[in-house]
Amino acid sequence: MANDDIDYEHIEYVDYKDTEFLEQFINNQGKILPRRVTGVPARVQRQVTTAIKRARHLALLPYVSESIR
Amino acid sequence: MAAEKYQYELTYVISGVVQQNQVDDIVRKVNHLVENNGGDVLEVDEWGNQRLAYEIDRKRSGYYVNMYFKAPGTLIERLERELQINDDVLRYLTLRMDAKMKRHYEKRKEREAQAEEEADDEDADE
Repeated sequence: MANDDIDYEHIEYVDYKDTEFLEQFINNQGKILPRRVTGVPARVQRQVTTAIKRARHLALLPYVSESIR
Repeated sequence: MAAEKYQYELTYVISGVVQQNQVDDIVRKVNHLVENNGGDVLEVDEWGNQRLAYEIDRKRSGYYVNMYFKAPGTLIERLERELQINDDVLRYLTLRMDAKMKRHYEKRKEREAQAEEEADDEDADE
């Protein structure tokens, strides 16, 4: 998932409302990808994780994706 | 009220089957609750009806409302209780904005203001 377009070092805040961005960090089951796959800085990965969990609570993102339910 | 005010971000989801006038009632009620208890509403952004990522109480869609306000911390408890009791509110999330979130919010505001300005310029050109 090497996405060099975005400068992850300069991300200050990961927004739970930005589902399009967060979707990059979940697999087709809806699981959060580990950092060894995403390759983002630890600071960003932590924020992504909380943001995804917040988005899931508000039903912006699935806990389990439609395809495997 | 002399209590210190913090900035909050609140997103809540109203059931998609609720009539529009009732949706407006809920939004108004929430805004009044904030304003009548020493809070200031900064912005209310209604995203409108959206598909939910999963079913909640047999509902497939929800009306999303995202708002920003300044208020003393004691208000949050009452506000969340109100949302919890209301059966038409499926989900809510209140976050106290820290410096990072505030900067992120300001930046978004700036971008929006700029986009508006550009749109105005284009209008002027025509």
